[in-house]
Amino acid sequence: MEMLLFLMAFPALIAVLVYVIRNDAARNVLVVAGAAVTAAASIALACMHLGTGLVLFECSSAVADAACTVVSCICVIVIVAFAVRHANALAGVLALVQIVVVLYVEFAFAHDMEVSHGLYVDSLTIMMVLIIGIIGSGICVYALGYMKDFQAHEPEGAKDRRPLFFALMFIFLSAMYVIVFSNNMAWMFTGWEVTTLCSFLLIGYTRTEEAIRNAFRQIVMNLAGGIGFILALLLCATQVGTFSLHEFIEIGIANPALVLLAVVCLAFAGITKAAQMPFQTWLLGAMVAPTPTSALLHSSTMVKAGVFLLVKLAPCFLVSPVPSVMVMLVGSITFLLCSFMAISQTNAKRVLAYSTIANLGLITACAGVGTPEAVWAATFLILFHAIAKSLLFLCVGTAEHHIGSRDIEDMDLLFERMPRLARFMMLGIMGMFIAPFGMLVAKWATLVSFVQMDQVALIIILAFGSAATFMFWAKWMGKLAGIAGDPENVERDVTSSEWASILLMAILLVAACVLLPVISATMVEPYVISVFGMAGQDIAADNLWIGSVCVCVVVIALFCGLGRSKKRTVGVYLSGVSRDDATRAFQNSLSDESLATARNWYMEDVFGEKRMAPVGVVFNSVLMAAAALLALCGVALV
Amino acid sequence: MDIQGFAIQGFVAVVIGIIAFAVLAPVVGCLLAGVDRVLSARMQGRVGPPLLQPYYDVRKLFEKEGVTVNGVQDAYVICALIFAIIAGGIFFSGGNLLMCVFVITLSSLFFIIAAYSSRSPYAELGAARETLQVMSYEPMVLLFSVAFYMATAALLPFGGWGTFDVSAVFALDAPVIVCIWPVFLGLMFILTIKLRKSPFDLSMSHHAHQEIVRGMTTEMSGSTLGLVEILHWCENVLFLGWIGLFFVWGGPVTLIVGVVAALAAYFLEILIDNNFARVKWQFMLKSAWAVALVAGGINLAVLAFL
Repeated sequence: MEMLLFLMAFPALIAVLVYVIRNDAARNVLVVAGAAVTAAASIALACMHLGTGLVLFECSSAVADAACTVVSCICVIVIVAFAVRHANALAGVLALVQIVVVLYVEFAFAHDMEVSHGLYVDSLTIMMVLIIGIIGSGICVYALGYMKDFQAHEPEGAKDRRPLFFALMFIFLSAMYVIVFSNNMAWMFTGWEVTTLCSFLLIGYTRTEEAIRNAFRQIVMNLAGGIGFILALLLCATQVGTFSLHEFIEIGIANPALVLLAVVCLAFAGITKAAQMPFQTWLLGAMVAPTPTSALLHSSTMVKAGVFLLVKLAPCFLVSPVPSVMVMLVGSITFLLCSFMAISQTNAKRVLAYSTIANLGLITACAGVGTPEAVWAATFLILFHAIAKSLLFLCVGTAEHHIGSRDIEDMDLLFERMPRLARFMMLGIMGMFIAPFGMLVAKWATLVSFVQMDQVALIIILAFGSAATFMFWAKWMGKLAGIAGDPENVERDVTSSEWASILLMAILLVAACVLLPVISATMVEPYVISVFGMAGQDIAADNLWIGSVCVCVVVIALFCGLGRSKKRTVGVYLSGVSRDDATRAFQNSLSDESLATARNWYMEDVFGEKRMAPVGVVFNSVLMAAAALLALCGVALV
Repeated sequence: MDIQGFAIQGFVAVVIGIIAFAVLAPVVGCLLAGVDRVLSARMQGRVGPPLLQPYYDVRKLFEKEGVTVNGVQDAYVICALIFAIIAGGIFFSGGNLLMCVFVITLSSLFFIIAAYSSRSPYAELGAARETLQVMSYEPMVLLFSVAFYMATAALLPFGGWGTFDVSAVFALDAPVIVCIWPVFLGLMFILTIKLRKSPFDLSMSHHAHQEIVRGMTTEMSGSTLGLVEILHWCENVLFLGWIGLFFVWGGPVTLIVGVVAALAAYFLEILIDNNFARVKWQFMLKSAWAVALVAGGINLAVLAFL
């Protein structure tokens, strides 16, 4: 248990140090050391509990309860202060509503609701710990080099807020550990609120008008989710009689009607945090932040807290149709529409954002199905999405600083201009959508779980969404792959901290894909068995191993096979006399020079945001309102 | 036998299947391509080339001087061929149908990247259109796999769970076509796209005198183009295998029925190829998705709920 406490406290300590010590060199050392220790401790914890079932730790303390309340209050005070300064009434009101409920729960019920076993570890937690500890810390290291460049690009005399930035990153990690370790839902709620506040401050980091606006959009939506969470706690106190997450789930399985409304509230909280439609706009808006923030929010923290909660609740969804249908449909509609909308985006970060939301949708849908197979799939989706997406964000961030754009159309010829980076980016992209990489194996398992439950609507949605996924990734890869002439290599001055993190993610991706059968046996299956008492009827091991072999082939081809060919090299055919291959210039019929240009397809009129977004927003809002109404009726009947 | 034993056995079977497919598929595919040439000529009132003409063509391609526009295109094409062969091996060794579908998609991706890498405006346009073609047919292909699973669930004598394993067809009481014929029709529709036959030969065509020259293969020549031809032969054999899958049941003897059905489907594709003009991408996308939604969706719903 000491390890758990250490992991929750240590990043927070580093955060304080980074904030206080404002020297650049000292910060570099602190961040690297802090990240390394966090990662090492996470791995150590994982080794200690590899393949474990549920292990609860006796831990309850009035001091900790009080501290949680104080932290929640501080969060609200900060939010209200910002809301007043920027005259945003809605955020202020929501924050105040939340704190009223928090204090009411705390003083009216909390002392009767002692949770004797406040902390726990199970195999899902172990996996989350590894994701937070390794990927999250890796991103912090990456941020060192990135933020140095970022600060250099700022106008002269701009205030250096990097201490705050790194402090927030590390607090984020602490808060995530609190979420995944806490069996006491009141503590979990505190971690939940801290992540909301941290991402608010990180999104607003640049203090531009757009950043502030998007930060407030984030805080409003996530405060709404937070209110859902605290209402669930209130219901736990008044109806269920426990704050223990695992007792709650047990009661939920035994007596679905009793916890119905609380489960709907928690699911709502998870859906907002996971940026499911109609709340997708906060994650899209978060793109204004520096890239390491996006990487952190998308891959290892924040949104993963949302789906983590949903996956935890999966056994409750399995026996309770109302929240199950709500979560399933919200997730799958989000997956479909966001995959479509990703086709119409030229901004690389927006493509990544839509793909994140879509994949979170898929995880959400799996959680809603709630069978052992679906949970297996959801867990792997969380893992592979975290690795591949962080790799992609880091690559896009570095490319942005060196080619001066995050537009995919400007990534022409990246394979020559930044040869190493382009290969990593291609690896990341392939990791996101194509067999035999883990993400697709997880989608495969998703499909199998849908088929076994006869969820025809979900199967069809998955089929069409996957097709759209192919489209937007393949055309991006194609842009990267182009080779013409000998453009200048611009990646020589990429900082070593950036390379180190990118390399780490790439190695993790390949290792996780090759070792997928092993990860399944040591982490994912133990969790499924500990929750459901049986393993799912998953993909057979021989297929997983065939996949591993294919991964090796692809990686070798990408990093070793793509060299110079011995063949004679000639220019491309341009229906005329070629003048310059690098620019695709040719001599036209008037003996002038013409340029051949080609753009990718974005099909704005078919898959544009204007057509797609309203459908999802309206549909999902109505769906959730209906679910809440049904749950209320259910409570009234009980 | 324990689970580990099964895993190793399945793995070895697939490896043997891959080797066998690598040897046999190009031969069969070459003959099929020859038949295509002869039949097309007869339909157009010509005598046409000898049956082995595709073989002579490819042999000649390999004898040509090696010329390329960049150093990486060959590697991509080789990857595409390797994965097409792996996909075929998985299918014909009785392996997992979904795995086969996913691996052949990987092969398509490598071919698309190969075309993109040339930076030829024509190849790039062809590659963009090919991406669209993949997006058009992919839903139907996935629904076909799911339908196969559900059909085996309904038709396997011991009942209950279905399977994605192709080898399970030999244990069926009746061919899967009896309960998933709408999906079969849907698959036939998108097969034209997958085989890049007219009216859906948007990304490349056999004739270089068109608006995008030869599309994806504009900048491929010599041995590279030879490999692309072999790739298409292998793909054709695999896709016809999918068609045959609908008609096999009971025991290996029924394979004859499957082969006859596949050949009939191939003849139909040639007939369509010779009788339709190319359509625009909008029509392709909408029609292919509509077919997948109607044929696949209704069929699955019927299987699931009735």
